[in-house]
Amino acid sequence: MSLSTLAVSQWILARLMPPAQAEALIGDLLEELRLQAGSHVSVAGWYWRQLASSVPVLLWASMRRGAWLVSVVTAVASYIAAVLIVLVLQSALWPMTTSSFAHDVIMLLSFVAAVAACGYVAASIRLGAARLLAFLVFATTCAMLANSTGRAPLWYEGSLLVLGPLATIAGAALSGRLRRVRL
Amino acid sequence: MPRGDLLGSLEQIVMLAVMRLGADAYGMTVRREIEERTGREISIGAVYATLERLEAKGYVSSFTGEPTAERGGRAKRHFEIEAAGHRALNASQNALKNMSEGLSRRWKRA
Repeated sequence: MSLSTLAVSQWILARLMPPAQAEALIGDLLEELRLQAGSHVSVAGWYWRQLASSVPVLLWASMRRGAWLVSVVTAVASYIAAVLIVLVLQSALWPMTTSSFAHDVIMLLSFVAAVAACGYVAASIRLGAARLLAFLVFATTCAMLANSTGRAPLWYEGSLLVLGPLATIAGAALSGRLRRVRL
Repeated sequence: MPRGDLLGSLEQIVMLAVMRLGADAYGMTVRREIEERTGREISIGAVYATLERLEAKGYVSSFTGEPTAERGGRAKRHFEIEAAGHRALNASQNALKNMSEGLSRRWKRA
């Protein structure tokens, strides 16, 4: 089995369990993988069967633990907060704009500032929530752009798509860094 | 006896495996022990999810061992059964025994 395949599967497992538990489970899988390598069983097939049957069970356990639910609720609440902040900023700054370019710039900056702030807050509650928020921002921006009438310039659409998730991650990274400094 | 004291079938099997393995009870050995004794394939995820549930109920406890090279430098998580776990296992086994008692004539065993 390739190292990248192992790394991907381990990354998936680490998302579903507390770190210490994930370490032990991955160690168990690696240890048994070595034992299976000496038998007639297809090692890759065994490994993927184990992974495929483990993920739904661990996902369910993670939901029961509440970690998932808290992350989802935090991410959705942060997303709604970001939308409200954008609306407030835009309505406050709207009268100051004179051209469509200035309007687009203000829209973009208010969007980036709002998602960065919400990414910061979401990460301070749960890091997984900030990742989910970044995904939500990306997915909803994609959906909005796909359904837009094509009035906005390309630079604006591209910036929204790239800067939105990046600003969320930057806000989350800032939150993590400040937390480490406080510790 | 409170209803919560009765264990599910997988919980009983996992606890019996932990009991059999003693000091060598950790995820991989528990999984292999169950497969060997029951002939039923079980995922490592199911073993861990069950052990986590049992630990939350106070029926088993765990501690981290030393990291080893064959595990990619990762430590084992050893499990052992607590007194409450022994009581719950006894209660569940007794409940099954009491329910099956006197059924020998009606029970068509394979």
